[in-house]
Amino acid sequence: MIVSHNELTAVVNKAFLGMRRTCGEADIIANMVAGLQMVGLNGIGHFNNAAQFLTAEKDCPVDIFMTNEGGLVVDLHGCSLACHLPVVIDYAIEKMVGKKHLTIELKNCHNRWLAYNELVKLAAKGLACKAQWNNGSSPQNTLYILNQGCVSPELFLSDHLDLTGRTLHDMTIQLSVKNFDIAGYSAGYERHINSSALNSAQRDTWYDGILVDDAEWEKLKKTATALLVENSEASVKGAGELV
Amino acid sequence: MDARPSTCGGTYMRDPITVMAPERLGAMHQNRISFVRTLIRKMAQQKWQVTKHDWQLSPQGFGHVIYKLTTLNHVYHLVIFCDEIADEDRNDRVIAEKWDVTFALVYGDVDVELLGRLRANVPLQEAGRNPNKVLVLARANKSVRVFEHLVSHLAKGQQPNAKELAEVGYILRTTAVYGNGKFGIADFNWLETTEDFNQSFSAQMCAVYILREFSLDWVHYIANQQGGDKAVSLDIDLQRYLGIGNATGLGMAPYLINHPCVVDKWLSSRESALTAVLNTAVTINKLEPLQHLLQKGLCHLDQIITINAHQDGLNTTAIGELHDLLGKLESLLLQSATWHELVDYSGQYSLETQEILLSCLMEIYPELVDSYETKMNCDENLNLPSGKRIEDLIAVLENRYRWAIDTDFKQPENNYWFWYRSQDKEEPRLGVRGEEPGEDRELPLDIGRQAYRLYHALLICKPNMQLAEFLVLHPQYRAISRRVWTLGNKEMGEIQMNVLHKTALPMHLLRCKLAVFGATKFDPRSERWVRVTFFQGAPLLNEIHDGEWLFPLLPSHSLNQAVAEGEAS
Repeated sequence: MIVSHNELTAVVNKAFLGMRRTCGEADIIANMVAGLQMVGLNGIGHFNNAAQFLTAEKDCPVDIFMTNEGGLVVDLHGCSLACHLPVVIDYAIEKMVGKKHLTIELKNCHNRWLAYNELVKLAAKGLACKAQWNNGSSPQNTLYILNQGCVSPELFLSDHLDLTGRTLHDMTIQLSVKNFDIAGYSAGYERHINSSALNSAQRDTWYDGILVDDAEWEKLKKTATALLVENSEASVKGAGELV
Repeated sequence: MDARPSTCGGTYMRDPITVMAPERLGAMHQNRISFVRTLIRKMAQQKWQVTKHDWQLSPQGFGHVIYKLTTLNHVYHLVIFCDEIADEDRNDRVIAEKWDVTFALVYGDVDVELLGRLRANVPLQEAGRNPNKVLVLARANKSVRVFEHLVSHLAKGQQPNAKELAEVGYILRTTAVYGNGKFGIADFNWLETTEDFNQSFSAQMCAVYILREFSLDWVHYIANQQGGDKAVSLDIDLQRYLGIGNATGLGMAPYLINHPCVVDKWLSSRESALTAVLNTAVTINKLEPLQHLLQKGLCHLDQIITINAHQDGLNTTAIGELHDLLGKLESLLLQSATWHELVDYSGQYSLETQEILLSCLMEIYPELVDSYETKMNCDENLNLPSGKRIEDLIAVLENRYRWAIDTDFKQPENNYWFWYRSQDKEEPRLGVRGEEPGEDRELPLDIGRQAYRLYHALLICKPNMQLAEFLVLHPQYRAISRRVWTLGNKEMGEIQMNVLHKTALPMHLLRCKLAVFGATKFDPRSERWVRVTFFQGAPLLNEIHDGEWLFPLLPSHSLNQAVAEGEAS
């Protein structure tokens, strides 16, 4: 079915608020989901997947360490990236002052696809970004490169998992004041989703509405009902009945 | 009047503490850049055409009607469904499931297939799904009293009793006018890129304006069906006097809290327009138009019939004060260098009177005011810039959030209410904390309390600590930090209201938004529910012009004539 952007962000917002989490911003997470869904990358599915675990996850701040090389290592304690990435990115940008490059190693995190929209925002800050992660549940290696001035990233996917030095629950984000060599880094990846396809998908959805999977949409809406309070005599009158 | 130097030149602009006080927002009136006014000017200037495209009503007035709207750029259709419903189903609440009239403003043409889809979904409102060619989805109920009075009189060849009309002021009353992507319809982000409806809520206002025409056509049609050759048309002045009613409940209040950048833009644009007027030298040639408008405002208040004793008292006070102001106006003008001084003088009157004066002053300077009509849209993002420290955010809080940080949220009266959404169509509600269920699912509309908690968390940190570092340690404050930073650095920022306080009145928020829309005739039905009228006194479709219609009045000659005829009948 087709839904609107406003409808989608409103439902995700409610769904996240209904989880009563301390960490994470409902409006930003809603935009993460909508941003991913609008380019055809199943934002709702990724959020639904996250929602299964969010209420059981720890709800505490991340731990950040500085490496000897000046990079950042962030332990998310097995939490969703959606709840913590904006804070981490803010912190990383502060640490970029006077530097040309910064590597962020995110450890023990989930829902890495939901980083898509937050990383897109870096282009507006004049930074290039490269992100990489391996997924275990549907084995896949993903490379995300967003160079300066771009609206959407170049995405590369490979079914071949190179786990050397990496686990299935980590993500590496590199920030740079210089563009990344897309051809060089993408060698060996089997599939490429180019930025122009993502751009046009996003543009079309503003006009045509956002295509969603009916079952995923119903699942999301059901999650959003957790916020609702059962009707009572007081609630029936509570909105201000006519006198 | 409180004032502070503005950032540009030696002019004075009112302080946000003054402008954003809830009681003052709750006294606002329509002005030249209210959305209904902007729309009518645009329709007139661009000569938009509205025609009756398809009229498929039974003799009893049930079926569908389509109006075609042609602009310079495109064609739209307003598709209206009229259904027979039982009196007990006619309910102003969002939880209603049936309405006399449901309608949709559609982009482009309406073919048989689309009409069928609309027929199947529009009457269902929230329970339906609509194609994204639909820009506006809405419904309305009859004022049965006015409807039947009009039909019965016109059918017999008589004019109605104008008093019956004056008490209500409309034939149809909307209970929700949805836009911006609700229930599958088009997002405003798309509309914003178009020429015709790129201003906030302009598509909704246009749909309601055409509905007003329909309400008159509908009454005439049924009167003709019943009266045949005997039937007459409603006196043209009385046609102009009838607008579209609107019943608004609590649902509108969370909008204002959840869209602070929009509120800032609405109020700062109005304030900028007003500032331009207030800094202008007083000239005596404005005396007459100002007197005329103040007199209209006075009569308008006098003609408002409200069941709400508090509002009635406010209106009565303002009527007395407006008499007083009118008596002194000429000498006040002679003593004032700029309009700012007159407004300063009016500070001794009630807020209702002060706000009427402000709307009147804006009215007499279209050349200074009207350009602000295109400055009501905004980017809603709440952002924290890089490089900020704890002390920077503390400074914003101490400068612009005094209303929040000076509130003692340890006191029960400051936490009395909690906001939640009920299962009934997800309506927002207010519950009493500790007494009613739902506190565990409280909505985060407690901006004052959040700002207060942020402030106290910041105070125990080193002032030169990076804000980004603070937020790594305390991520729960990032959302309110973004808001405080963004709004604290905007002209008008937050509505300065602790919505949890025992005496907080959501009505102030409702009236503010309705005044920005351009509503008139505020008639609170309770502390959380208000009836207003849109397009009352506006030009009719076949005479649309960009002349103005602040403070609609019952036409006096029609009143006399119609009352006489009513009494004779």
